[in-house]
Amino acid sequence: MGAFLYGVSLQWKLDIRSKTLLITCYIVPLLFFVIMGGIFTSVMPEARYTLIQSMTVFGVTMGALIGLPPSLVEIYSSDIKKVYKANGVPLYLGLVLTNISAYIHLFLMSIILYIAAPLVFDAEIPQNPGKYFISLAIFIAVSLSIASIIGLAVKDQAKTSMFSIIVFIPSTMLSGIMFPMELLPKAFQTIGKLFPASWGYQLMTENAFQLENLLLFLLIFVFAIVVCAILLRRIDT
Amino acid sequence: MNEAIKINNLTKSYGNHVVLKGLDFCVQQGEIFALLGINGAGKTTSLECIEGLRKYDSGSITINGIMGIQLQSASLPKYIKALEAVKLFAKWNKTPLDKATLDALGIYELAKKQYYQLSTGQKRRLHLALALTRNPDILFLDEPTAGLDVEGQISLHEQIRQLKAIGKTIILASHDMTEVENLCDRIAILSSGKIAYIGTVKQLGKTIGKHYNITIQTENGTEKYESENIGASLLSLLMQYKEKGEAITDIQIDRGSLEQHFIKIAKGE
Repeated sequence: MGAFLYGVSLQWKLDIRSKTLLITCYIVPLLFFVIMGGIFTSVMPEARYTLIQSMTVFGVTMGALIGLPPSLVEIYSSDIKKVYKANGVPLYLGLVLTNISAYIHLFLMSIILYIAAPLVFDAEIPQNPGKYFISLAIFIAVSLSIASIIGLAVKDQAKTSMFSIIVFIPSTMLSGIMFPMELLPKAFQTIGKLFPASWGYQLMTENAFQLENLLLFLLIFVFAIVVCAILLRRIDT
Repeated sequence: MNEAIKINNLTKSYGNHVVLKGLDFCVQQGEIFALLGINGAGKTTSLECIEGLRKYDSGSITINGIMGIQLQSASLPKYIKALEAVKLFAKWNKTPLDKATLDALGIYELAKKQYYQLSTGQKRRLHLALALTRNPDILFLDEPTAGLDVEGQISLHEQIRQLKAIGKTIILASHDMTEVENLCDRIAILSSGKIAYIGTVKQLGKTIGKHYNITIQTENGTEKYESENIGASLLSLLMQYKEKGEAITDIQIDRGSLEQHFIKIAKGE
């Protein structure tokens, strides 16, 4: 357990030293919040009712999809994995540690948004904070699990960025955080529902959990874990 | 002496390309054993099969002891500090930090440097320290001095001798014959996926003793000859030149270096 906790704290430090995660988990989401939060609330004053949720969905999606895969590519598409294996460190450790560290960073960023949005833009705090944070926890886990597939499946940094952006752009544009889903053409509404961001936004804005929504997240999460296990096995052999 | 490693009829192919064609050898406990060969001879493949990093097709490998592995091409996360890496690996293997070894390898001097800031030599030292974190009985070093300057090579050779002195078995992959002559008790030369020579460096040296290169310079140019019997060959050559009426301006005789002999064996000549 001591070794595992040391690994988590070390990965946390490495992520802070790496500018990529700092930028994708904190700087860009918070800048987006400052600029777009101002625009949303002045163009549509009612946006303040869902500002915390929309900014958080953007920040988590960005941090997970753009921030996590490069760390995984660094470990699994280089000689680092051989050094781990040769020295008795299990191959899955890199995946687990980077996920836990990214999870903590994304949760912290979400808390900053939760506190700052009401102060800066008079955003309304979710009616049920307990339910909101459980939804947030689920959404971060699912987003990271999808980002892990990209990081393990793609072999180089340039291709990783391309795949991450391919998933990130429709996730944010069609999830309802920029424009209400109802205003989007039917085809775009359908495409938007293919990405967890739209379901995450729905989960965090609803006042009560819906079994259908939770089951979908569970399904995506289990699917992603199975795919990651297969990819790790392929990397190992 | 007991066997630290025993390899029996090991084979490995990549598609249609057969890299190892039935390797047989053993390494005794406490010796420094070198696996030699020109590039592509199968040194790294052999080592990786023995280390358990690569699957082999057939044969058997018996290892008696804990292994520590320093890979030829190794890397770590860009921003990890040297001492952090050593601590992570030691904690994961549940072994205490061997401060004397870390001090000897100069890891404390590098403690605050991040991996990307280290020189090639410093990275080699760090990877050797990582290989030693499990307190191994058998240490694998794949091209340990590649890319090091002379000072770095001398320092690493000294560390390898010290490890032998405390009873470690060391398996070295190299194509540097000077390094091998200085360090190793026994060598195996790989050629086309098979062991072409196995024995001590001294034994290899003795076979070189019977071999001579003769260079004769005349006004018409330079001719080179090889001989196993220097007396008879030299006499015969002098007679030939006298009969031709060519005046000899210089004669050079040398016994050929260990390196030349190694290349001949490694290339299967």
